[in-house]
Amino acid sequence: MPILELRNIVKKYRVGKEVVTALNGVNLSVEEGEFLAILGTSGCGKTTLLNVAAGLEKPTRGEVVFRGVVLNKLKESQKVLFRRKYMGFIFQFNNLIPILTAQENVALPLLFDGVPPRERLIRAIRELDRLGIKDRRLHKPLEMSGGQQQRVSIARAFVHNPHIIFADELTGNLDSKTTHDIMRYLQQTIRERKQTFIMVTHDRDVAAYADRIIYMIDGKIASGEEGGGEQYA
Amino acid sequence: MKSYDLVTLANRNLWRRKGRTFLTVLGMIIGTTAIVVMLSLGIGLVESQKEQMAQWGSLNIIRVDQAWSFPGEPEENRQRRLTDEAIEEIKLIEGVLAVSPAYEVGGEAMLGRKIGYISLIGIDPGMMELFEFNLAHGRLLNEGDKFNVVAGSMVINSFYDPNMAPGYWEEPPQSDPLELLDKRISFTLMNQRQQKRIYGLNVVGVLSDKSMEHAWSVFGPLSEVKKMRDFTMQGMGSTPGDPGFPPGKDIVVPDMPRGDARAREEEQYSFALVRTEDVSVTRAISQELRDRGFNAYSLADSLEGIEEQARQIQAVLGGIGAITLFVAAIGITNTMVMSIYERTREIAIMKVVGASFADVRALFLAESSMIGMLGGAFGIGLSYFLSYLLNKYVGAMMSPGMGPESAPLQISLIPPWLVLFALIFSMGIGLLSGLYPANRAIRLDPITAMRHL
Ligand SMILES: Nc1ncnc2c1ncn2[C@@H]1O[C@H](COP(=O)(O)OP(=O)(O)OP(=O)(O)O)[C@@H](O)[C@H]1O
Ligand SMILES: [Mg+2]
Repeated sequence: MPILELRNIVKKYRVGKEVVTALNGVNLSVEEGEFLAILGTSGCGKTTLLNVAAGLEKPTRGEVVFRGVVLNKLKESQKVLFRRKYMGFIFQFNNLIPILTAQENVALPLLFDGVPPRERLIRAIRELDRLGIKDRRLHKPLEMSGGQQQRVSIARAFVHNPHIIFADELTGNLDSKTTHDIMRYLQQTIRERKQTFIMVTHDRDVAAYADRIIYMIDGKIASGEEGGGEQYA
Repeated sequence: MKSYDLVTLANRNLWRRKGRTFLTVLGMIIGTTAIVVMLSLGIGLVESQKEQMAQWGSLNIIRVDQAWSFPGEPEENRQRRLTDEAIEEIKLIEGVLAVSPAYEVGGEAMLGRKIGYISLIGIDPGMMELFEFNLAHGRLLNEGDKFNVVAGSMVINSFYDPNMAPGYWEEPPQSDPLELLDKRISFTLMNQRQQKRIYGLNVVGVLSDKSMEHAWSVFGPLSEVKKMRDFTMQGMGSTPGDPGFPPGKDIVVPDMPRGDARAREEEQYSFALVRTEDVSVTRAISQELRDRGFNAYSLADSLEGIEEQARQIQAVLGGIGAITLFVAAIGITNTMVMSIYERTREIAIMKVVGASFADVRALFLAESSMIGMLGGAFGIGLSYFLSYLLNKYVGAMMSPGMGPESAPLQISLIPPWLVLFALIFSMGIGLLSGLYPANRAIRLDPITAMRHL
């Protein structure tokens, strides 16, 4: 059974009198443990697709099915529980809380889940250690470089052992060396932990790390192909 | 989210903008102080008035006077006569601790070379303690006493030296009440037939009470004073058209057939004192007695008017404080709304990584109630300080007495309940002020927030 299924998703935005169609009948099935990249030009609807798939946005039409549960039919309070338990998120930049230190930012999903402080901290530090920035754990976001901040974001996305991780242009602001380091880390980690990873990007090199690449044009999936994931393993 | 995490997070959010938070808290401090000080003035007012009333007499005691009525007055308007039966009836009223009937006679008196006019009240010696007779010197009455008496603290001032220059009489010097102790007063009574009797009264005690009930009278044993009273009544009613009795009470005449006027009058006490369980029931019992036709009066009766007046003053003062607090509350709301604008992205992130609506609401409500509570706590501190200054400088100027022993007037009083009330109230105000911002934060769409910042 696929972990995530999008069935005939349509997403329209009303801007004044105009209606913008961001997603125009998307069908997609993601298998458990899959590393998927969605590739497309700017404005084709990648971010919208990711948000709808994660249940952060409601589709105008169609169904999002996560492990047999129709996500878009759930109440907000129920979706929150799904996010807490099963989902991790990485965004392009600036997605840390400025008053919290690196380790506190990483521990945030655990905090909302009611995990006690000590356990939270141990798990957060372990995650930061894996990403090689344990020594920065007491720094606030503004005291770190963009690459370090992004590593903290990644640590946060993984700290609660989610089943599926959504990433939107996670390497958008990074140089190519850092980008490749991070991509290799992600590839390894999700394979180790048997997690599913859905990533949106307009960078072919980044997409190449995925098991499967899907091309999007104007709110529709154009075609899919096997990624070059193996070569980096 | 666990509550300790909530408090930590709220606290840290609060102090990221120290200046702004401080100003908002300052608004709450001023608001709380305004309301506490204003209310404390109202409370001080009531308390000082109660204290003043206590100087006039006890709030636990009701005085029931003998019946007097105009001849020809309709039956239903007539007052109840103060007979033994009536005393027994009053004793049975709920809330009444004891009833002490009393006789009162007035006559000329001599103390050494000084002369004066005193009123001698006969009461049951066993009742003195219960009816709040407080001794300055000597002792209270005992069961065996006959012509031993206890004098009020001002009785000495009733005497003057007839040989002194008249100027002295116009402004008598304040005499020491102790002068009376162990002295003998010769007391002259006259009845309706113009017969005289002279009694020698030994002063065995002097009272300290300043109340009118106690200060100006001399107290003797009930049984002896009754005999004196009966003597003064001799000849009463025997001369038709007699202007009435007793002396000093004009206009009114006992309403009864002339013939047995004396007999009927003799079975009445002059007045009775009713001791109630507690100040809170005095007014009700006093009213009950009047409803039953007794000529009852208590100091507590006038308390209602004073309390009503104080309530009005308190409402006005409290209103002024409330307006200040309201402005402070708007300040909190404003601060929180601003804070949401600044933290739009953060709120979105928290929602994405698992904060529920309840978590977001709790965080903002915690922040606003903390502002309220801080303002309340410091406001109470400031109130105590202002209250102290008010009492020290303004209260001292308004001091009721002149003498050095009279304490400065407590015009501002902060009872513990007011402190508790102010704390809870200011926290509640903070909470209320946070409701609107918290709801805004909840409605904030994380996706829009993530896209546009
Ligand atoms: N909230 C919105 N209101 C109106 N139109 C929107 C909204 N969000 C997205 N759109 C429109 O939907 C389309 C798809 O937007 P989306 O952000 O998904 O593109 P994208 O593929 O992520 O682009 P990029 O690579 O630049 O991030 C765009 O035309 C955009 O203008
Ligand atoms: Mg995008």
